[in-house]
Amino acid sequence: MRNRYLSLPILTLVCAIAVAASTFAAAPEKAEHEALPLNPAPLVQIGKFGITNSMLVTWIVATGIIILAQAATRKIKPIPSGAQNFWEWLVEGLYNFLEGIIGRKLVQKTFWFFATLFIFILFVNWFGLIPGVGTIGWGHHDPTTGLFHIDRPLLRGGNADLNMTTAMAAIFFLLWLIWAIQANGIGGFLLHLFGPKGETSGILKLVMVVIFFLVGWLEIISILFRPVSLSFRLFGNIYAGESTLEVMSKMVPFLSWLLPLPFYFLEILVGVVQALVFMLLTAVFTLLIAEHQSETAHS
Amino acid sequence: MILPLLAEMSGSIHVGLAAMGVGIGIGLTGMGMATAVGRNPGAFTPVLVHGILAIAFTEAIVFYALFLLPH
Repeated sequence: MRNRYLSLPILTLVCAIAVAASTFAAAPEKAEHEALPLNPAPLVQIGKFGITNSMLVTWIVATGIIILAQAATRKIKPIPSGAQNFWEWLVEGLYNFLEGIIGRKLVQKTFWFFATLFIFILFVNWFGLIPGVGTIGWGHHDPTTGLFHIDRPLLRGGNADLNMTTAMAAIFFLLWLIWAIQANGIGGFLLHLFGPKGETSGILKLVMVVIFFLVGWLEIISILFRPVSLSFRLFGNIYAGESTLEVMSKMVPFLSWLLPLPFYFLEILVGVVQALVFMLLTAVFTLLIAEHQSETAHS
Repeated sequence: MILPLLAEMSGSIHVGLAAMGVGIGIGLTGMGMATAVGRNPGAFTPVLVHGILAIAFTEAIVFYALFLLPH
């Protein structure tokens, strides 16, 4: 009964979308807004190696984090205040949060990576929201609208570049492999992928061995897609956010100061949520492959 | 009426359909998570971990549609 209620709206939705899609296709194409380009613009070209505006942002943010953290912890006080208090609050909060999720042993080993990911992604996301990022740069005067159009912005949100997010996901994938083999050994790692799970005996056990061997290949495909989905999730969210801000500020010219404002608050929220999701997912993936070992160690 | 329209559709429809299904699936997961936390607020962390995992597995479907099928 419940299924029927659920499937009927879905079917009507599919039909409605089919109709809508064909109507839009038939309509004459409107002059599109010049959206944010997918690729970051190169600033300096040294041989084959180009320095792009999103790279510049990641360097600025990384340098900023390093300098602020060093300055805050130069004179460590037993009762922290000011900047030292902030960093201690951030790091301790992250540590306790991660300890609750992946356990005491694993968090000691992997905290450096997950905390770095969270702090870096968060500040890169928020840096991209500062007015001036994406609006200062080289461009040309558009004679039809009489407005100045930016072709090559000086700065671009670091995670609005697929290269950056792919690099972080690839580093995680490599570390995941190392941690998995350290926790299980090569044989244990393969057993974790292909070995039968659950309590069975007799002829059913034989069937289960075959089934779980085949399931192992599915698992490998899903594992190989993890870096892809990790990188595209972060890139998609940040890029879509920047595009939304751009479109909103161009939609109604005399309201361009007001329309993007609610979306800026949304983007502040999205920046935190995406940093959290990236850290949580990488942590949980690590927990999944390493918990086998820690469970047997406990029992 | 609908059949000629469907026949005229072309492009990466499978990606759109996958994205739609994934949206519905993630919504259902979120509903389950919210219900579970409302029912038992103390179980926030385990619910979050399982929910995030389920969302990640659901989300992967749209990437399968994007990359595994020829366009």
